[in-house]
Amino acid sequence: MTVPNNSHYYESGMSRRESLKWLGILAAGSTMATLSGCSKATDIVAGATGHWPDLDLPAITAKGYGQDPNLIVPLESPWPRTLSVEQLNLVAILSDIIVPREADIPSASEVMVPDVVDEWVSAPYSSQQRDRMTIMAVLAWIDDEAKLRFNKLFSALSHTQQIAIIDDIAYDSEQKPAEFERATQAFARFRNLVLGAFFCSPQGNLDIGYMGNVAIAGDYPGPTPEARQHLKSVLDELGLSEFAYLEES
Amino acid sequence: MADFNHKVLVIGSGAGGAMAAYTLAKAGHKVLMLEAGRDYDPKIETPMFKRKSDAPLMAAGNKDKNFGFYDATVDGGWQVPNEPYTSAKDSDFMWWRSRMLGGRTNHWGRYSLRFSQHDFKGKSRDGLGADWPFDYEDIAPWYDKTEEIVGVCGTNTGLDDMPSSSEGVLQPPPKPRIPELLMAAAAKKHNIQAVPMHRAVLTRPKDNRAACFYATPCGHGCSIGAAFQTTTSLIPLAKETGNLQVITDAMVKSVDVDKEGKVIGVTYVDKPSGDEHSVVSKVVILAASACESARLLLNSKSHKFPKGLANSSGQVGHNLMDSTGASLGALIPSLKGRPRYNEDGHTANHLFIPWWGHKAQAKGELDFPRGYHFEVGSGFHEPGSWVSGELDGYGVKLKQQARDHYGAYIGFALRGEMLPNKHSYMEIDDEAKDKWGIPVAKFHFKWSDHELKQIEHGLKTAKLLLESMGAEVDELPPAEKAISKGGQIIHEVGTTRMGSSAKDSVTNQWGQTWDCHNLFVMDAGVFASNPHKNCTLTIMTLAMRNASWLAEQLDKGAL
Repeated sequence: MTVPNNSHYYESGMSRRESLKWLGILAAGSTMATLSGCSKATDIVAGATGHWPDLDLPAITAKGYGQDPNLIVPLESPWPRTLSVEQLNLVAILSDIIVPREADIPSASEVMVPDVVDEWVSAPYSSQQRDRMTIMAVLAWIDDEAKLRFNKLFSALSHTQQIAIIDDIAYDSEQKPAEFERATQAFARFRNLVLGAFFCSPQGNLDIGYMGNVAIAGDYPGPTPEARQHLKSVLDELGLSEFAYLEES
Repeated sequence: MADFNHKVLVIGSGAGGAMAAYTLAKAGHKVLMLEAGRDYDPKIETPMFKRKSDAPLMAAGNKDKNFGFYDATVDGGWQVPNEPYTSAKDSDFMWWRSRMLGGRTNHWGRYSLRFSQHDFKGKSRDGLGADWPFDYEDIAPWYDKTEEIVGVCGTNTGLDDMPSSSEGVLQPPPKPRIPELLMAAAAKKHNIQAVPMHRAVLTRPKDNRAACFYATPCGHGCSIGAAFQTTTSLIPLAKETGNLQVITDAMVKSVDVDKEGKVIGVTYVDKPSGDEHSVVSKVVILAASACESARLLLNSKSHKFPKGLANSSGQVGHNLMDSTGASLGALIPSLKGRPRYNEDGHTANHLFIPWWGHKAQAKGELDFPRGYHFEVGSGFHEPGSWVSGELDGYGVKLKQQARDHYGAYIGFALRGEMLPNKHSYMEIDDEAKDKWGIPVAKFHFKWSDHELKQIEHGLKTAKLLLESMGAEVDELPPAEKAISKGGQIIHEVGTTRMGSSAKDSVTNQWGQTWDCHNLFVMDAGVFASNPHKNCTLTIMTLAMRNASWLAEQLDKGAL
């Protein structure tokens, strides 16, 4: 196995919720997780329907935060994280392919999306457990595919090589070769989680244009003149102008 | 407590219990309230301004917090720790409870629509279900008084589905948002009118409560008291009179009677210690929620009442109804990438579509007897753990797609009237007991054709409106698939219904049980029907009216 040249792509020093306890939990979590996310190269068989990792993940045995958690100061680490340093690194590289830096707007890993993914897949709830199976499988698949094609882990590939693999699983279409079908579905789930994690960060809120969560003195001002102008053009375009709602002044 | 000398015991601190206690305390009667959940203070416990990113799992819902991390539900949701319920074979009923002072009023949707004469007299009109034992005009002044103390924003629309409030009662509603204005125009094209929602949110200050500042979802609770919940309004106001005392963590096990069958008080379990206590009282009011009060009556068997207390009619637990629910939404292409502004508003519908089909139903043009309304989901909400739409690819192009789709969806949520049917009821499970040894509720539930046809009509209408907004809508699902599960809309009512005869109802129009004159029910159990409008405003209005009547009886020494 080639030594990855960007194995320290992601430095997870703290959780996104600024936990100081997080490091210790990660250390505990990563020893538990072992390297189950990576098949042995000799085991990979690529047939017509492609290869798919057969993961034997250790069960998540932690408890949830319960039905009466403190909502004002949420627990920083409600359950142990399970991603290994290598897996976090892979998640970071993929997250930044999905959400790269754009000028002043940070990339996914810059707003700690991999930590959010780690918290998500490590959570002891049924839908997160389902996502864990999907996401761990696609992470392993991506490394397996990298080994098959280039004999290296994904993180050790050049950007062009990485994109060559991602291009095969990032688009769903009827012409999609059967060998990429499962990976495409699983990558879609991962992508949606990354997008959610990015856009719900403060920087992501700014990027998508969420302007709420601020106290307003007096009455709610309603739409801006620009927004009203846009609505007017939409109503015109849809032939709905004569039915426009009359607001009380 | 020993020298308090209460005259009335109220079980439950939610909409009905708190209003009953407030009304009686104001009238000078001493009230002891028992609440099964823990004490709860929104002033210090509400997560105001908290971001989803501050919470575990981006605040997404799970089995611990079904409606998301910040939802103001304590030790509750579809399951309550140590307090199971069961469903009969082929019945899939969901029962939402919470175990906190203020009950479900801490998180409710706050939609507050009056029932009308049309709603109260459905049976007289179409022969189905049951009439209520009073007319709209009997209750109209109580709606006014309730709306005034609760604080409801909205307007008098003059529509036949929306009885008017008296002049000056309603507070001004907030301005509509862009997707709501588009939806309203599309509806108008089809002669359907969208109007301001009536909502229990202050837009002007009242008592010790501030006006809404248009941030933080009301479902989190409201530390400033703008969004109505009993824990910032009725309960503190009642306590100020010196006539209300509250015991929390008190799970009532039975209503107790003497040899003659007169109610003498209740027995409750102090949950932290597990000890049982008996409290005597001249009058007992059940307001534990429709199904919890019915469960309590059915579990209170005695020599005199072998079928359960106040159940000589056999109607306790029967006539279980929820609202119907279904939803349909789509991406509106013209809204893609629309100009941004703050669309939080009071964090729920500013406009909605009330039922417009009274005349069509009267003419026999529709194949279902009862109406529905549409709530409308749209807007620039705080982003959460997932991004909507089937997005492909990665990188800058993908991000641009996500930004374009943000705030470009409109969804219709139907809420409709269900008729009572003989397959929908609750009883006591033969075997299962909760942690306190109290036999649990067992649910039976089935929708009828009346509801399925209504859903079919609603889906078709929603599709028509979405298409008028330029959306592409897939083939509609069959009504049986689209309709919500029983209980899922959390408007369960009817299990101790009121009526004009002891033969087919549990209480009279005052919520007084026919069988025991010092036992009252003041929650949604007394509903004789379940109009499509959300039940809480009417629970409170009935509780105020009936507790006022009870206060008069006490003053007269009639009980």
